[in-house]
Amino acid sequence: MIGIAMIQASSILTPVLIASAIALLLGIVIVIVSRVFAVPVDTRLEDIKAILPGANCGACGFTGCEGYAQSMADGDTDTGKCPVGGAEVAGELSRYLGVAAPSFVPKAAHVHCQGTVDHTKKRYDYRGTISCNAAQNLFSGPNSCTYGCMGYGDCAAACPYDAIYMANGIAHVDSSKCTACGICVKTCPKYLIEIIPKHSNAYSVKCKNKWPGAQTRKNCTIGCIGCQKCFKTCQYGAITMDGPLAVIDQDKCTHCGECELVCPTGAIVNGLMLGQDDKGQPKTTGTPRKAALKQDA
Amino acid sequence: MKELLIILFSAILVDNFVLSRFLGICPFLGVSKNVKTAMGMSMAVIVVMVFASALTWPVQNFILYPRNLGYLQTGVFIVIIASLVQIIETFLKKSIPALYRSLGIFLPLITTNCAVLGVTILNVDNQYTFVQSISHAAGAGLGFMLALFLFSGVRTKVDRADVPKFMKGLPITLVSAGLVSISFFGFKGLIEKLFS
Repeated sequence: MIGIAMIQASSILTPVLIASAIALLLGIVIVIVSRVFAVPVDTRLEDIKAILPGANCGACGFTGCEGYAQSMADGDTDTGKCPVGGAEVAGELSRYLGVAAPSFVPKAAHVHCQGTVDHTKKRYDYRGTISCNAAQNLFSGPNSCTYGCMGYGDCAAACPYDAIYMANGIAHVDSSKCTACGICVKTCPKYLIEIIPKHSNAYSVKCKNKWPGAQTRKNCTIGCIGCQKCFKTCQYGAITMDGPLAVIDQDKCTHCGECELVCPTGAIVNGLMLGQDDKGQPKTTGTPRKAALKQDA
Repeated sequence: MKELLIILFSAILVDNFVLSRFLGICPFLGVSKNVKTAMGMSMAVIVVMVFASALTWPVQNFILYPRNLGYLQTGVFIVIIASLVQIIETFLKKSIPALYRSLGIFLPLITTNCAVLGVTILNVDNQYTFVQSISHAAGAGLGFMLALFLFSGVRTKVDRADVPKFMKGLPITLVSAGLVSISFFGFKGLIEKLFS
């Protein structure tokens, strides 16, 4: 009886002891390793990360919000690098770090193309992957103007704030939703999107076409032909010519509107885009060109 | 030596752990979207598999078998693998924080990954020697890496294709995985002929 009990006891006791011994040994090793490889947690880092919006877009120039938070925890006092957080986050960060708040210019992305289906033609019938980056590989896309927006929506798909939509065959950025994170800028294969200061009547040359005037005119009825009228009109030196393409410097522009009145093709417009209206047409913050001309005449 | 190579290449191609044995599907589907995370995850899996085999084989053959405690195999193996992953995670957090953050939840998920437990149990079932077990584990990990890379390419293509609405997301991914798995059947019989 006692013999059987002893055998039974040992047949239970032995595995229990062995399993427990293995578990205990491993537990000790884990504790030792966690002590040796302990990572000191910086509480400031956690607090700063909590203030940042957490979009991880990389617009600040660091790898995600963690990178920017780390640089500030290490002593960087530039709190104005986050365009997504804007002035609010910059103010909070400045208060936390005890530095003066930076002056913050709100910015938005802007698509520099007006080549809708009304203004351009298609050179060929594209049947490939519905993606701008893919179409770009096939002779620079099916549009008659190969600098212009193809309208397949890579930017809209990439925008984490749903601020970009397609209308009339090209992309439009709803500046009221845009946080200037910069992801669309990197996505567009034609480099049409730029981040500009968010003035409600910002003047821009909505064209990136660098062909000579006659060739541009043949392929897009609203493109910049490089006539230089705007360049000669601007009294503030805000317009420069990049070959046969006019470029407006947003920092020097005083929004006087003279350039828009002299532009023969309508490539210069004022205002940033907003969302779509009931008919699906894009709304703008600026005044339409014809209305401006009528007012002046 | 030839036998070690046969075991290694069989585990990579013929009996691929993900595509032929259907082990480790969770990280396979979860991590194969991004090539960088796929690389990090595969390295972590290879390391865990090799170390787990190195630890569990002696425990099985020197502690459990001699005392007829084979039934403890599952429990003890899981404890060993879990501890091993914990140690690797702590080590990674200190030494390579970027990899640690990009793997995120998937590193502790390797603990419950049937592929790792599968490797250790298969080593025992196939009655491999210690060196053969290591070779088998390395092959399993490399096969996992191969499957992950192949599938990330397939997924990139599928993402850009015009998929019907009801198939978008997980359904088309699983169908694609099944088709890739069938394609690996073509390797059957290859390895034996290659080395014989």
